[in-house]
Amino acid sequence: MSAAPNPEAGGWIAPDIDSCEAVNRLIAAPLLDRQGWGRQQWRGWWMLMGIAIPLTGVFFLGVYMILTKGIGLLGNNTTIVWGFPIANYVWWIGIGNAGTLISALLLLTRQTWRAAINSFAEAMTLFSVAIAGIFPIIHLGRPMFFYWLAPYPNPMTLWPQWRSALVWDFWAIASYLIFSIVFWYTGLIPDLATLRDRATKPFTRKLYGVFALGFRNSARQWAIHQSFYKTMACLAVPLVCSVHSIVGMDFAASVMPGWQESIFPPYFVVGAMFSGFAMVVILAALIRKALHFQSLITDRHFDVIGKIIVASACIMGVSYATEWFTAWYSGERAQHTYLAYVFTGTYAPFYAIMLFGNVIAPQVLWFKRARASLPTMVMVAVLVLIGMWFERILIIWNTLGHDYLPALWRAFWPTIWDYLVLVGSLGVFLLAFLLFVRLLPSVSMFEMRELALRERRP
Amino acid sequence: MSGKRFTLFEAKGRSASAPELPPRGLDRREALAMLSAGMATALSACGKPREQIVPYVEQPEGLTPGLPQRYATALTLGGYGRGVMAIAVDGRPIKIEGSPNHPYSLGSTDAFAEAEILSLYDPARAQAVFKGEEPSSWTALQTALLSRLERLKGRQGAGFTLLTGRIVSPTELRLIAALKMAYPAMAWRRYEPVNDDNARAGARLAFGRPLTVLPKLGQAQAVLCLDADPLGSGPEQIVNGRGFAEARKAGGGFARWYAAEPGWSLTGANADHRLALTPAQVGALARHVAGKLGAPTGGETLPVQAARFADACAADLIAHTGHALVLAGESQSPDIHALAHWMNSRLQAPVSALEPLDLNPDDHLASIAALAADLKTGRVDTLIVLGANPAYDAPLALGLPDAMRKAGFSVHFTAYDNETSAACQWRAPLSHALEGWGDARALDGTASLVQPLIRPLYGTKTVSECVALLAGDAAAASHDITRQTWTDKAGGDLDGFWKRALTDGVIASSAQAATPLPPARLPQMAQAAPPPSLTLCLSPDPSLYDGRYAENAWLQECPKPITSEVWGAAVAISPEDAVRLGLKDADHVRLSAEGRSVIAPVRVTPGQAQGALSAFLGGGRTRAGPIGTGVGQDFGKLRGVGGSRALAVTVEHAPGHGGAPAFQSTRLLEGDARKLSPTIDLATLAGLKSHPLDPVKTPPSMLPAAPVLATDAREPAWGMVIDAAVCIGCNACVVSCQAENNVPVVGPEEIARGRDMHWLRIDAYDVGDPHDPRPAFQPVPCMQCEHAPCEPVCPVEASSHDHEGLNAQVYNRCIGTRFCESNCPYKVRRFNFYGYAEEQAYANLGAESLKAQKNPEVTVRDRGVMEKCTYCVQRISAARKLAEKEDREIGPHEVVTACQSSCPTQAIRFGDLNDPASGLAGLREDPRHYALLGELGTRPRTTYLARLRNPNPALSEAGE
Repeated sequence: MSAAPNPEAGGWIAPDIDSCEAVNRLIAAPLLDRQGWGRQQWRGWWMLMGIAIPLTGVFFLGVYMILTKGIGLLGNNTTIVWGFPIANYVWWIGIGNAGTLISALLLLTRQTWRAAINSFAEAMTLFSVAIAGIFPIIHLGRPMFFYWLAPYPNPMTLWPQWRSALVWDFWAIASYLIFSIVFWYTGLIPDLATLRDRATKPFTRKLYGVFALGFRNSARQWAIHQSFYKTMACLAVPLVCSVHSIVGMDFAASVMPGWQESIFPPYFVVGAMFSGFAMVVILAALIRKALHFQSLITDRHFDVIGKIIVASACIMGVSYATEWFTAWYSGERAQHTYLAYVFTGTYAPFYAIMLFGNVIAPQVLWFKRARASLPTMVMVAVLVLIGMWFERILIIWNTLGHDYLPALWRAFWPTIWDYLVLVGSLGVFLLAFLLFVRLLPSVSMFEMRELALRERRP
Repeated sequence: MSGKRFTLFEAKGRSASAPELPPRGLDRREALAMLSAGMATALSACGKPREQIVPYVEQPEGLTPGLPQRYATALTLGGYGRGVMAIAVDGRPIKIEGSPNHPYSLGSTDAFAEAEILSLYDPARAQAVFKGEEPSSWTALQTALLSRLERLKGRQGAGFTLLTGRIVSPTELRLIAALKMAYPAMAWRRYEPVNDDNARAGARLAFGRPLTVLPKLGQAQAVLCLDADPLGSGPEQIVNGRGFAEARKAGGGFARWYAAEPGWSLTGANADHRLALTPAQVGALARHVAGKLGAPTGGETLPVQAARFADACAADLIAHTGHALVLAGESQSPDIHALAHWMNSRLQAPVSALEPLDLNPDDHLASIAALAADLKTGRVDTLIVLGANPAYDAPLALGLPDAMRKAGFSVHFTAYDNETSAACQWRAPLSHALEGWGDARALDGTASLVQPLIRPLYGTKTVSECVALLAGDAAAASHDITRQTWTDKAGGDLDGFWKRALTDGVIASSAQAATPLPPARLPQMAQAAPPPSLTLCLSPDPSLYDGRYAENAWLQECPKPITSEVWGAAVAISPEDAVRLGLKDADHVRLSAEGRSVIAPVRVTPGQAQGALSAFLGGGRTRAGPIGTGVGQDFGKLRGVGGSRALAVTVEHAPGHGGAPAFQSTRLLEGDARKLSPTIDLATLAGLKSHPLDPVKTPPSMLPAAPVLATDAREPAWGMVIDAAVCIGCNACVVSCQAENNVPVVGPEEIARGRDMHWLRIDAYDVGDPHDPRPAFQPVPCMQCEHAPCEPVCPVEASSHDHEGLNAQVYNRCIGTRFCESNCPYKVRRFNFYGYAEEQAYANLGAESLKAQKNPEVTVRDRGVMEKCTYCVQRISAARKLAEKEDREIGPHEVVTACQSSCPTQAIRFGDLNDPASGLAGLREDPRHYALLGELGTRPRTTYLARLRNPNPALSEAGE
């Protein structure tokens, strides 16, 4: 492939990018270059918008219906009181995980290759966390009172129940969302300034200029920016672990068989990273193809992400095995019937799909040839995402559907609204991401310049 | 006109000095005055009161606005009364409870009595007189009727036919007798679909006359039920249930029950030994047992297992002579009934005999068949149907709906517009039992007065008023009619008698004197016809009875015992027959008999007799309002002209799949899961003392203890102990809870989606092995855990503990995260996925009239709110208020929960664990005591006593 970096040199940028200006030109072109990027270039974008806009409509229709008619529209029943909204929430917030990890953890560990993917990965985080945040609210019986989870001053002097994992969760999502916005925006400021400077049209220049907050490329500004950015990154790592641990505790802090497991918090963090990286693969492949970023997002990037995915898949496998072992080893009736139900019950085929997507399919990435093949990578990523969604829903279905008292064992059958809102949420994500690609640099220019300078330094 | 006439002071009238005006019409002022008076009248009253209304000048004695009042009255089922206490708040009846003085209530109720309160407010009730489909009036009906009757009078009433259900009410009987005097040639037909024809015929065979024989189950130590269901639905269910419980107390003599039956009944489910046999085999078993008792019968070819059963049972019966009892069911032929009487007389069984209270001499089927014949031959000129619904519940083979249309003139007095109304020319609305005066007699003849708690909601008349109308007295009020009946019996002081009867709930010493039982003759055993390859056995629906409660949404949604089906029921088939016919669960079949057929789903039921199908009467109503129409299948229409409830059918596949929605899908408990619903053999009970079921009373708990708000040691700690040994699974508690706590109905679609709202459910597990099922009932209300898993997970503290140990749910704080239900190991919480209570109610259940039924002390829950059993916190609160007012402690039995009050067997005990007088703490020390899922450390306040079985060692040895 022409975009092959120079592995011997440890390079992460293709040789055809030989200057800072080349980096800027390549990344800013889709946003600013009217000649090079005409209608033809954006045809695929418009086609995707043609999918994303109706799906977004479907999503908001679903939300509207659920808010007006009640959550009776969904498939939840007396036994399985949680359903798609919770699974969707956990899935989306998990996807968000990778963006923060790439930006923060890899920044702190000086993994320079992150520069090519961190910007859109952070955007992915932001959008998926925002979507994730909608689900716990529409899942409420009385969504108009969601703010009761906050300790706001009220005449009854009522506070939330601090022992409830849902209150922790409320804070976790809220702080994660706020943090993601700030972190993402901080990273964008130098690029917004670059775009402002490169923009030819007054309106565009003004627009980027306003958001660039007067960034002038001075050494002092850079120093402040970098120290702030790195401090944020230090905060991000514990935060990203805490948010997913707490999501895990939504289940683990209970008495239900299959939920009450101390492995849940770390297992949720890894699972989140796993699905997040899978989504990054898909988005990176799309961006690279659509925006001609082969020089920036190289095969070597996919190679390392492939390694992360296969490592995560192994951890997931070990986690599942641990779950089975502890369930068996506990010797408790409820745990045993739960385990039997997982493998032989109503949802056993979905459990098989989950195991295939999360554990078995990624094993192909042990092979370098598989990691080098983009279609294989994307296929594995899609399987991982499907597997992870099934994991989320099966955690709910299997445990709640088959817990202590056999009298109330029931199955869950989704309704059309369950599906519409799930598919619609993908549309919302796609729409947001498409707008992001059209309006903001998908790859961070200043970090790529830094990388290019480092790599080209004699 | 001068301007001064407009001044305020002069408005009182014209000045005296004004000249006399000539006579004229209204002047402007008078016209305005009349107009405003008319407006005022129109605005202030919607209708003229029937009687003089005087506003309270002094508050009536005993009435405090907002406080409930209890009135003793009676409700009937199949014509027989059960005494009840109706509770009214501010003039609205809201709840039915048992009447402690009444021998057929004993303070308890059944599901039907509890559900009557919903029927009262049912918006689908018949509300006005209709001629055909045209609204009419009582006056028009009266005019039409009287001119008709006038003509009939000339013919001595020939062609005048009155059809009723079973009538034993003294007033109604008196009025019918009077009517008969006026129209000597009148025909009085009487028909109940759930009747006692075979029992009557059996008594005639044994005693020469149709004596009513009532068992005294409380005195019986060995009971054999030959397809009899004494614990099943019916007016005798409560008293039989109490007798069952009394005779099975650990410590005293512990009765042993045997049941041989084709399909599961409550009796079979509660018996110590149950054998699945077809009706013909049950008959053979009866003859076999009789042979052992000395009858010249026997030589029956019984299956080996049945022979062992019969031998062991016969030996047991003989060993308990004087306390042994044999009961035959309605599916058995008259000679088996007679044989049972003979066996009972040999065994000196504890029974009492009465001359029948039902004064109509005909058998039910004979009576309805005679009506059909009369109608077909045109001998019926005027047909009056009083309450009954023969167009639905009489055998279809009689062709009644069409025949009724041949009557020259027909009126249906009915509480609902139903199938019979459609076949009659007129329909006129009947009052609910809580709307008018009357009287009722129980099975043993005990009479009680029926008193109204509310003015009729619509323009309705009671049965007695309708009979009076037929006699030409349209103005008669039920109160006067009823009083007239009792004038002679009151012994002069009618007012005192009346008051006593109303306060006691029964009329003292009105029970029918027992007749000395004549020696039972041994019947000539008819040669049994070769049994059909498949017999369909019909029994009254445990929720709908004979279909008369199909309009009642509470009962439609009340899970049928054992199968937990709601909104319809499948036909039960044995696993062997299912394999033979290639049927799977919920497959549809066409059942055919004599050219009539029904398509219905099957339910493959272990424990069903091979060769017998079982189904309930009462489904498949075609005209039963928005609730009951088209729910389930009408198996009753397969019956032939004989009306037998055991009939030969053929079965073939029909297209379609899907059974009735059921609450509980998993029943079989195996291995360790048996501990969830333990059953103990009586013989091992002694050993249990050293090894109680619940060795550790307070296991370690990872759940945080509830914060203790009050340190006052005298604060009550409410607890409940449910004795599974005597829970017969009758569902009275389920409906009682629904009525007390404003629990909404969700409807069949929601049930099919796995949603339901019952705060109290009765789990029916099968604790036997797959070939020998043993149903085990376990009522599950909220456990009110001390370490409640639902509490720490609620993010807004809507689920929290109160100072009396109650696990409270604060509805207006709940935001509906449902984490509490997720984390509840007992799954007792119920969520309003829709606004089931009002704005999104099923069918017509959001109607205005039903709002009057709601208990004002209990919040009606909104959409999106979690709810659950509260231990009837409103009753606790009422008792506490009263105790505080009187400056005393709450008495040991002062608080009675709704489920506890309804329980016929008193299996549910509630009280203060800190108060030794309540006895609750003592029950918790019983070796049979266990906590459901106690090992989780939730420390439930609701606990159980294990089920007890008293198996016959002779039967348990060689391995069942």
